[in-house]
Amino acid sequence: MTKKVINKSDISKLLKDANNEYNVYVPMEHIGGDVLFSLLSKENNTLEDDIKRINLSSEKTVNSPKEIFYPQLDTMMEYNDKGEIKETVENSKKLVFGVRPCDFHAIAHQDHFFSKDYEDKYYLSRRDDSLIVVIGCNQPPLPNECFCTSVGTGPFLTEKFDIQLVDLGDYYLVEIGNEKGADFVNKHEKYFSAPFRDEIKHAESTKLEAEENVTLKVNFNKALQIMKTEEIPQDNLERIAERCIECGACVYVCPTCTCFDVFDDMKDGQGVRCRIWDTCVFSGYTKEASGHNPGAKKEYRAARRYEHKLKYDTLESGISGCIGCGRCLHSCPVDIGMSNFIKEITTNQKYH
Amino acid sequence: MIKKTLTSCIYCGCGCGMYLISDGNKLIGTQPSENHPVTKGSLCVKGWNAHEFGNKKSRLTHPLIKENGKFRKASWDEAYKLIADKFQTAQKKHGNDSVAFFSSAKTSNEENYLMMKLSRAVFKTNNVDHCARLCHASTVAGLAATFGSGAMTNSIEEFERADCFFIIGSDTSSQHPLIGSRIINSVKNRGAKLLLMDPRKIHLSQMATVHAQHKNGTDVALLNGLMHIIIREGLEDKKFIEDRTENYNELKELVKDYNPQYVSKITGVPQEQLIEIAKIYATTRKAMIVYSMGITQHITGTDNVKSCANIAMLTGHVGIECAGVNPLRGQNNVQGACDMGALPVCFTSYQKVTDENVRKKFEKAWGVTNLPAENGLTVTEVVDGLGSGKVQALYIMGENPVVSDPNQNHVIECLEKANFLVVQDIFLTPTAEYADVVLPAASFAEKDGTITSTERRCERMRKAIDAPGEAKPDWQILGEFAKVCGYDKMMYDGPKKIMDEITTVSPHYAGMKYSRLEPFGLSWPCLDDNHPGTTYLHKDKFAKGKGTFMPRPYIEPNELPDEEYNFLLSTGRIYWHFHTRTMSGNTTTLEREAPVPYVEINPADARELGVRNGGKLKVTSRRGTLELIATVTDKVCVKSCFIPFHYIEGPANILTNNAIDPVAKIPELKVCAVKIEKV
Ligand code: SF4
Ligand code: SF4
Repeated sequence: MTKKVINKSDISKLLKDANNEYNVYVPMEHIGGDVLFSLLSKENNTLEDDIKRINLSSEKTVNSPKEIFYPQLDTMMEYNDKGEIKETVENSKKLVFGVRPCDFHAIAHQDHFFSKDYEDKYYLSRRDDSLIVVIGCNQPPLPNECFCTSVGTGPFLTEKFDIQLVDLGDYYLVEIGNEKGADFVNKHEKYFSAPFRDEIKHAESTKLEAEENVTLKVNFNKALQIMKTEEIPQDNLERIAERCIECGACVYVCPTCTCFDVFDDMKDGQGVRCRIWDTCVFSGYTKEASGHNPGAKKEYRAARRYEHKLKYDTLESGISGCIGCGRCLHSCPVDIGMSNFIKEITTNQKYH
Repeated sequence: MIKKTLTSCIYCGCGCGMYLISDGNKLIGTQPSENHPVTKGSLCVKGWNAHEFGNKKSRLTHPLIKENGKFRKASWDEAYKLIADKFQTAQKKHGNDSVAFFSSAKTSNEENYLMMKLSRAVFKTNNVDHCARLCHASTVAGLAATFGSGAMTNSIEEFERADCFFIIGSDTSSQHPLIGSRIINSVKNRGAKLLLMDPRKIHLSQMATVHAQHKNGTDVALLNGLMHIIIREGLEDKKFIEDRTENYNELKELVKDYNPQYVSKITGVPQEQLIEIAKIYATTRKAMIVYSMGITQHITGTDNVKSCANIAMLTGHVGIECAGVNPLRGQNNVQGACDMGALPVCFTSYQKVTDENVRKKFEKAWGVTNLPAENGLTVTEVVDGLGSGKVQALYIMGENPVVSDPNQNHVIECLEKANFLVVQDIFLTPTAEYADVVLPAASFAEKDGTITSTERRCERMRKAIDAPGEAKPDWQILGEFAKVCGYDKMMYDGPKKIMDEITTVSPHYAGMKYSRLEPFGLSWPCLDDNHPGTTYLHKDKFAKGKGTFMPRPYIEPNELPDEEYNFLLSTGRIYWHFHTRTMSGNTTTLEREAPVPYVEINPADARELGVRNGGKLKVTSRRGTLELIATVTDKVCVKSCFIPFHYIEGPANILTNNAIDPVAKIPELKVCAVKIEKV
């Protein structure tokens, strides 16, 4: 694998250059220190300010970069009563910079999902011309919730990425994973230089330390095994259901959740068809036309979510639907989360 | 161009900080703020979906004037002139108080301030009010009388550390989800005690230490009974009573009669439960009273609130961290609308209109003379006034009384009689259908301003996207309208300037300059530019000096079941919808979860009526009748029923009673008598 280094002080210059060619999405600091994936401005007067707000330190964005390729509300087409239909497909060239390793796995999961049964053009058109720069996690961004080492999705990637950065203090070691990544680096070669042997060694030790820093451990493989062969104890589900206030956050923030609902909005002969993120933890999700609802009980819906992630996804594609990002626990107002669930079914102790 | 803008959630009073994501043309997503002290990376379902409704094609985009029963597009200028003419003519013929203004808990502080300024400075009437009349008017009255300040005493963060929650008449986890979640975590993770008093089984019942299902409307008896036990057991806080309160003997005298046996008979709560609740509450220091509409929406609403204040003072559970009396405000800015003086009796910061010095101060600030000195009419009285001709013209900003107010047939009759009605809103609401002029307003996402959440936190709302068509922010509409009426001191560069003015006339808000409200706002009182804001109230001293015990005797609800109308009906909100569904009904996920109106009845009653879950029932009160889908559930007791009030398609308020609390003028939305038949 080709390796380079880049000075941290050159990142803003690099992104400014790239901004001429790409739509650049990068974690940016907002009011009160909130860090969110945001689009760099194309206007000179606001670009400088955006650049200053870039934050690549160990903050995790509340939402993963999922929304860049699969927005929460997406207009699919516009139409009118003359029968004219205009599809609204977004296909700009994108650079998504600063993606966490677990989230990169999630993107791979989404790529698979949105192309396996049919080609979802709304997703794929956005995704097609995109370059993803991953940044490994020296420290877990959510120290109490990240569990990537148990799943095998972080804190660094070993393959399949375009580019991965290793934070080494004043500079990053740049690992180039494929041709797409190499093209990008070559194009902006003035910012990159060859690494010294020390730097490569430093990166190796940083990665090992990073592994140690992820302290939340769960027995993920055992959980997958149990889910494949056993029923989830009713008691676990009931305790989850008793807490749940049905906010939907676990699904909205989950980087691998893909469900959507479709609605039309029409007036005076003009209409739009949109899709919005849906969630399986709501009762209406499984309500049948007769009024009967197999998912009427909260505990059934909780089970459904865990089964989908840990059992069916794994059976279907060999990759589990959970990548260990910890977001569901972090954003759950009542402390329900995948890692707690896994701990419960693998240890028989109560975490909910 | 994707842009993320931090603003404040438009729904409940929790005041969550959220980012709206815009693509330049429309809103495409919502994300919680990570660092906002209430939000902390979470939202409830309504918040998560707050971006959708504003995009809808059915938004109002032009002023409309009704001609021959039909609306036609009009210019702003034409609309303003017509309204000005009608209002001024009405006043010439029938006097200043023949016009009235409804402000809105869904609009910003600045806009509420301008609405009351319009009413008082331009039209010289105190007939300005808003829907707090239907939710927490009794809180404002009851807590002002006992403590001197009608607001939540504690902050939301303190719920994470309290050891006992005394919840009466609040379905907290569904109506204030991010407060409810803190209660759930405290109970489940830390073993905090949960004392729940609610006639219905709600989500929190499952984890309650005690759940007392008292009969609707027996709250005063229940609270008096608890105080009786506390005094009998010697668990009252004698030092607190001595140092910080007055009128204790009167309380003691009154509650003497409320022995457990008597109270149990009135409320239906077993004596042991009464004793358990009293003991746990009195002996846990960090004990919070939490209440909401179950306390306030009664003809005895003010008495109920006073009784909550009484029991908190009796035990010394107020004025310290994690203990107090916490009325949860239902709308994002209902606290602010009250603070801003969108009430018929006061200017901002509850400064009374009857006080000459106060009026002088405002006359000077506003450059006017002769501000009206008499209290104005309340929402409920204005509606009646339209019917009787006392009120000729009404200007409604962002309210929907056809769905929200009790006794719908009466409301509609009155609106039809109104000489002239203006409705300013984001959609053509059921109320707007009755208007002569409709003005299109910007939604919360389309303007700047501030709101004050239930924890008294005044925080920014920020513009994320342009308003559709010709719609404008309410503050701009009100300013321009005032100018057409001949008053030009309501034209501002923006809400920041309006807040600057508010800070000069409102002691609670004196330090609330925009520069100080970054990033996540401040809680009042914030008395000057260096004041840090206040997390909990009444430390060392009550706002009014000494706290005053206000003992109240139990009075029955206005209309109880009898032989003919043999069911007790209670109304309220459900988790998936908000108020009159103007917003939530235009949100796909929320609407899917609860698309049709229904009535909850107990399985035993369903059996007797021969109706199954999903069958049809006819519900009739003395005021109207409704056909609804039956939801058979043991959430409601036998011979009780519950109907959500959100739906114009099955408006619960066709049935409800408009009997009002004599002090706060709040209607008794929580109790009336109905009969139920199978269809
Ligand atoms: S289930 Fe939870 S931990 Fe797993 S990927 Fe989804 S949000 Fe992350
Ligand atoms: S809890 Fe209240 S303020 Fe927070 S997201 Fe839900 S409705 Fe909005």
